[in-house]
Amino acid sequence: MQRRRRGWRDALRFVFRFQSYFGLVIVVLLSISFSPSRGGKLIFLNARNLSNVFRDVSETGILAVGMLLVILVAGIDLSVGSVLALAATGSAFLLMRSEWGALPTILVVLLIGLAAGWFNGWVSERFNVPSFVTTLAMLSIARGVARYWSHDIAVPLSYGAGGGDPRFEVLGERIGGLIPVPSLFMFGVAIIVGVVLHYSRFGRYLYAIGGNETASRLSGIRVQRLKVLAFMLCSMLAALAGILHAAQLNQGSPNDGVTYELNAIAAVVIGGGSLFGGKGTVAGAVVGAFILGVLDNMLSLNNVSSNIQLVVKGLLIVGAVALQQFRLRSVE
Amino acid sequence: MKRLIPMILVAVLAVAYAQGDWTAYTADLLVGGTVKEGVRDGGPLPANCPAPQAKSSYLIGMSQANRAEPWREAMDSQIAAAAKAYPEFEVVFQDAAQDNANQVSDVENLLVQGIDLLIISPNQAAPLNKIVKEAWEDCIPVIVLDRNLVDPNYSMFIGADNVAIGQAAGEYVAKWCADNGRTDCKIAEIRGLTGSPPAQDRGDGFRAGLAAGGLSEANIVFSQDAEWLREKALPAAAAAFQAHPDIDVVYGHNDPMAEGAYIAAGDAGVDLADVLFVGIDALPTPDGGIMSVLEGRLDVTHVYPTGGKQAIEWAHSILVDHVNPPLWLVLPFEQVTADNAQDVCNAYSCPAAK
Repeated sequence: MQRRRRGWRDALRFVFRFQSYFGLVIVVLLSISFSPSRGGKLIFLNARNLSNVFRDVSETGILAVGMLLVILVAGIDLSVGSVLALAATGSAFLLMRSEWGALPTILVVLLIGLAAGWFNGWVSERFNVPSFVTTLAMLSIARGVARYWSHDIAVPLSYGAGGGDPRFEVLGERIGGLIPVPSLFMFGVAIIVGVVLHYSRFGRYLYAIGGNETASRLSGIRVQRLKVLAFMLCSMLAALAGILHAAQLNQGSPNDGVTYELNAIAAVVIGGGSLFGGKGTVAGAVVGAFILGVLDNMLSLNNVSSNIQLVVKGLLIVGAVALQQFRLRSVE
Repeated sequence: MKRLIPMILVAVLAVAYAQGDWTAYTADLLVGGTVKEGVRDGGPLPANCPAPQAKSSYLIGMSQANRAEPWREAMDSQIAAAAKAYPEFEVVFQDAAQDNANQVSDVENLLVQGIDLLIISPNQAAPLNKIVKEAWEDCIPVIVLDRNLVDPNYSMFIGADNVAIGQAAGEYVAKWCADNGRTDCKIAEIRGLTGSPPAQDRGDGFRAGLAAGGLSEANIVFSQDAEWLREKALPAAAAAFQAHPDIDVVYGHNDPMAEGAYIAAGDAGVDLADVLFVGIDALPTPDGGIMSVLEGRLDVTHVYPTGGKQAIEWAHSILVDHVNPPLWLVLPFEQVTADNAQDVCNAYSCPAAK
């Protein structure tokens, strides 16, 4: 009896451990079985459609990887959507109006991201303000700066004669018409951050801080500095997503990126991250972003109204969190 | 001369061949609209594309920028209603909820579904240029509604002329002031979102209309942005009536803002019958401008046509009849006053239609 119960628990633990992967498999299987077909072929499995999904997921994925770093130390960043808009507007402005090259533009925009993140982290840590308040302020500040900078009007991007540096255009293209460059950035970011979290002292400390901040501090970890660093990296990745956003949409609009922070947080949570800190993996966050993206794609292909899509996304988030709580109580 | 005739014949044939199977549009297809840019020589598709094949059913994709706006919602329902006349048409709708990135994926999703024709009302021009170009170069006819794209990589653009509508509003106001002996006519303008092209056009046109009627910009004593929203127009107009209790005319860049100003004027204790309230859009919905005029809140509004019905009719002309459409079609608009409000209401089947 005892052993059987343990077997059941082990199985459950295994499922929970790979919760997000199972989730993705289920969503993909559902998408295949509910896919409309054309000429006897399932539209969902169409190479072009899968390429669309990858392109669509890239920005959320990059935001989610950054968000994970902040969530690991039990913080939250509500400003990533606004920072994305600021970065997109800034890129377009520097390229088109200031006529900068692609490389200096990208570097300066990433620095803007770092600065926003430093502000988020520094105010939160130095003045002991909860990060959702600080980043809520940044949500407003970054969007305000973006609107002020661009006079409320989207800055269109063009390339070639009289236009911006054509090297920037590459960031929004697809290699061979199928592999979206933004998704390469997403996988690159995921691999780098994943390796850092897994193998470096910085990574181990982040998990430790999220697990027990006081204990970490007492054992000599420079908690404040590391938390500020997590916020800085998060905002820098948001700025990177903003650069890719501008390149893909051929404009920098100060009004884009609204509610993107929610998608990023949702991706982390669906991927098994805990809003109480200390839990979550990069792979989980990326898988979470893919679950959201595949779901969006499936519902769109079936022409389900975007209002229903919002409801489904909300239910999915509630389900993922409920599952985590259940796991805390029943297994661990 | 003997050699010239065959040469002319060859030339005519060559032109006919270059045009493929397309026949040019005729004036009656325009139903009151005006052509701003004529047909493209090679037809509505790129040169290497054949004319669409005859089929028993056609799938039409409609990418809407934002269904939450009543005017855009009306566009979708007019498309759906017009498509009922053609049983071979099936229309699928996508709503980008005001997000450019969403709209790009919406169009991508429509394309993988194998649509025969794309109708798109862009949220913004620049982000959609590329994907629309891809669709068009893939030999899918594209009809762009309301907001034009940067490059004309599409079959046709259908839109209304906000400058002309604004001008009509301005001329009406100038005439009303003259007819009512308001020599020093004071006008309050409640503007649409700063930076949006329709706000710019409705403002510029209005000023041109005033000038044509003998008034000037100096008559506009108050002008403020209320972002197209009734809720923001109310405080703006309240401030206007505080500063200038003797305002003669309120011009809202859309009906909800004019209605907001109407409420604010009531709150300020102004004699409502003494003020001219002017709006734009005239939606045939319960809270739309046609009802406002019928019920006496607004004095005049202007039908800003969505083009939904025209888009479906042109889709049929392109897909089935192989008509080469004008590149840019400007839709006719209508002025709605107490005199003709019931007729307009009947024509657009508004809630009080008889």
